[in-house]
Amino acid sequence: MKDTRRTRVVLGALLVAALAMITVDYRGGAQSPLRGLRGLGATVFGPVERASAAVVRPVGNTFDAVTDAPGERRRADRLERENQRLREQLRAGRLDQDRSAQLQRLLGTAGMGGYKIRAAQVISAGQGFEDTVTIDVGSRNGVRADMTVMSAAGLVGRVTRVGPATATVLLATDQTSSVGSRLEDSKEIGIVQGRGRRGLGNGGTALRFQLLDAAAPIRVGQRLVTLGSQAERPYVPGVPIGVIERIDGASGLTRTAYVRPFVRFTSLDVVAVVVAPPKIDPRDAVLPPAPKPAPTPTPSGSPSPGASKSGAPKARPSGTRRPSKTPTPGD
Amino acid sequence: MLNAPEASRTGRVVTAALVIVVALILQVSVANRLPLPGGVQPDLVLLAVVALALVSGSMTGMVTGFLAGLAADIVPPADHTLGRYALVYCLIGYLCGIASAEMDRQSLVPFLAVAAGALAGAVLYAATGMILGDPRAEWGTVSRMVPLQVVYDVIASPFVVWAVLRVTRRYERGERARGDRFAVPAARYRAMSGRSGSL
Repeated sequence: MKDTRRTRVVLGALLVAALAMITVDYRGGAQSPLRGLRGLGATVFGPVERASAAVVRPVGNTFDAVTDAPGERRRADRLERENQRLREQLRAGRLDQDRSAQLQRLLGTAGMGGYKIRAAQVISAGQGFEDTVTIDVGSRNGVRADMTVMSAAGLVGRVTRVGPATATVLLATDQTSSVGSRLEDSKEIGIVQGRGRRGLGNGGTALRFQLLDAAAPIRVGQRLVTLGSQAERPYVPGVPIGVIERIDGASGLTRTAYVRPFVRFTSLDVVAVVVAPPKIDPRDAVLPPAPKPAPTPTPSGSPSPGASKSGAPKARPSGTRRPSKTPTPGD
Repeated sequence: MLNAPEASRTGRVVTAALVIVVALILQVSVANRLPLPGGVQPDLVLLAVVALALVSGSMTGMVTGFLAGLAADIVPPADHTLGRYALVYCLIGYLCGIASAEMDRQSLVPFLAVAAGALAGAVLYAATGMILGDPRAEWGTVSRMVPLQVVYDVIASPFVVWAVLRVTRRYERGERARGDRFAVPAARYRAMSGRSGSL
């Protein structure tokens, strides 16, 4: 190499630049002065990702099912999206009905809301160690940072960063994610933490639940819902999370259990951003019907929350529909 | 366009930029969504940087690596400290560029170089995470993911390297006649990977 000297100078300059960026961004945290650069990334790459998702999806779909005409599949996708929206509406409506019936009985008042949602589609996923995805709605659609993201099956994660037409979602399985949660039909609370890699690593269970009271009763098969954060940001209450699969012995102050999520994080496709929290904590009402006669407060004949695209069939009646068939290899 | 050296240089820059952007988009919208065993995906951007560096030398390698890394740091679902991929890819681009000058005519060498680049890239990225105290890059995760990542990278490398060679060939032809400093490693590498190119 005859240009070694110049090459080394440039190398040094670039490395210093990279280190400076790391330092500034790390020190700055959420208020980093470099967040404008990220905004630029979202503005530039967001539309490209949307376009590429539109291109890649039909290709993958044909790859996936040779017999299906791509046009039909596109229509099915559209219907699926619409279905999701209607299902959420139905669920919100039913929730409202149940709530209002209960409250009329109890207090003689009525009028409660469910979650107000905006349907979205996952268009890309994060690299390296992070469990993040991009969805195709952004600030133009009324999405803001720290909103809950759910699918028909349960909790997906929360919005961390918003671009004009896209938003970044931190999945619940990410190792930096922790969600305040509550065991069904009890007041026992704890923290659900992600274990990374969308649950594919670490022996299969994607989430870890830490029960704050080590003496509290907990058993395998119990289900978890979100507790709800202060002011419903970032997590709204009552969103189903998963089923307790394994319990570790009590060690120290807390007790640890491993949770199989309702949502299948490896094949996320249609999700919903909760743009307005429910007016009242839905408690356990959003949980799918229990396999055994469970003491859920409502008769909960609603098929809607049980109609899941997730791979958690044990917790659900077998008659529920399975709207998403994980179309692309890219999903 | 190939007659004027300036135009050819522009063409090369455009080609490299195009390769990186396509690799990045494929990475986030296709590769990262594959539910592969272990939850690890091949790093197409790293492979593209390695291939470009092997073709064009260390200067191009490190500048391309830096810019590709910066793009990977700000592409929407990214949620790590800005500059980590820029640092890693810049170093890898530089090292692979140096290595391209030293390579001899054996068809196995480029693949070893790609594997070494993949390993070094994965380890360096994990190391930056550990230095910064990133909870995602704890030892248990890293020790499980890095070997798997290298395996996937090596599996994916022939396709990426072949594609990069196909795309860059057009501009190399104009340059070989001019015989500038990029031509020799490029010609060597192409001669070596002629067999892999027919995969």
